Amino acid sequence: MPIEQAVQTLNLNDPAVFKEWQEFLESLGITNFQANELQQIDTTLGIYNERGNLIATGSVAGNVLKYVGVCNKFSTQGSHFNSIVSALMNLLAQRGVFHLFVFTKVKYATSFQHVGFHELARTDLGVILETGDTDVSDYVHRVAQVAADRQLPPTGKVGAIVMNANPFTQGHRYLVEQAARENDLVYVFVVNDDVSLFTTAERLALVKAGTQDLANVVVVSGDQYMVSYVTFPAYFLPTQDDAIRYQTTLDARLFRDQIAAALHITTRYLGSEPFSRTTGIYNQVLQTELPPAVSVKVIDRQTSGDTVITATQVRRAIAADQLATVRDWVPATTYQFMQQNLKMLQARIQEGMNINGN
Amino acid sequence: MEIKKTAIAGTLESSDIQLMISQADSGITIDLQSDVKKVFGDQIEAVITTTLKAMGVTAAKVKAVDKGALDCVIKARTIAAVQRAAETTDTPAWEVL
Repeated sequence: MPIEQAVQTLNLNDPAVFKEWQEFLESLGITNFQANELQQIDTTLGIYNERGNLIATGSVAGNVLKYVGVCNKFSTQGSHFNSIVSALMNLLAQRGVFHLFVFTKVKYATSFQHVGFHELARTDLGVILETGDTDVSDYVHRVAQVAADRQLPPTGKVGAIVMNANPFTQGHRYLVEQAARENDLVYVFVVNDDVSLFTTAERLALVKAGTQDLANVVVVSGDQYMVSYVTFPAYFLPTQDDAIRYQTTLDARLFRDQIAAALHITTRYLGSEPFSRTTGIYNQVLQTELPPAVSVKVIDRQTSGDTVITATQVRRAIAADQLATVRDWVPATTYQFMQQNLKMLQARIQEGMNINGN
Repeated sequence: MEIKKTAIAGTLESSDIQLMISQADSGITIDLQSDVKKVFGDQIEAVITTTLKAMGVTAAKVKAVDKGALDCVIKARTIAAVQRAAETTDTPAWEVL
């Protein structure tokens, strides 16, 4: 039996190391080395054999395992895989990260299940799995508890809306109102990633403030299960159509099988999307994937005069220092927040926060 | 002993067990993944539970991924995970061994 080599850190900034790493992964059929994927990598580990060839590698990006590749030619089935995943998990544990995800090809899903991962959703192209000290069932339990605390009926007509609300506008409000009229209970899931002009805490607070009068509306964080950097990076990063389609399919199936099923959600509400290509594809995919389990209702965007209300326009007004021009487009609570924090928001834009994306 | 934070001990290597211990409101729950669960599942869970009780842990959520660990390994990994989770690694509870 060959001598077991220790797991070591790979410095991908070294061109020679990077080249060997990329060639090794390519030989295993991993071919996406686009800059926006590579930039997210925090740490890469590897195992070399006694001849100095790379035989196993894996990387972490935040709490997501990426680029896991193992050559099993000269080892007991799975032993290098287990070493790499184990080393990555211990590395994340040292950083205080205990809840992690992986996207992987269908053929590797079983290997991850053997080391304790649970499947969240799958397509023909890939599977998303999670492991750790909390999971999706803890999440839906917490969400259901919020509704229960408000004495809202957990079953019957239950609607759901997922929104970034960056910031919460009259357009969002209109969508929520429609859903609130047509359902016994409405969950509003606010996207959880802090990569927008308004922080997650601010967006969540503004949605809550702007819907406080609607008795059957429950506003919660979408955590890492809805349109998050984990499930749907294309929402935040420029991405090709086929990748968007793949990610949105996983996001839609995760929502359908893990979230909607557990929370008895019957209808998902969407705003029609005339502008964003990514959101446009997402809406199409949701309409294909969710029914018949969950029906999908597309609500036309609310207009103010001839203009369609969008959060993008509101953000542009902040940047241009013309807050008054969008006064009618946002609820009073959002307007007040923007007025009081205008300097801070403008400073964020000056520091390079992109306001034209999602 | 009170579980204050999530902690991990052990590896996924052959003959080892990876244990993750986190807070729970009450009781001990064990989510065990093992290729030999059918035969040794009860035994593995019993070793973990006994060790936890010996350390005075009454509420904990345990996620265990077993790769064929012997009882002494399971016990050692449980002790290490608890001490990390209870932040008592500076004052190890030797008597439990």
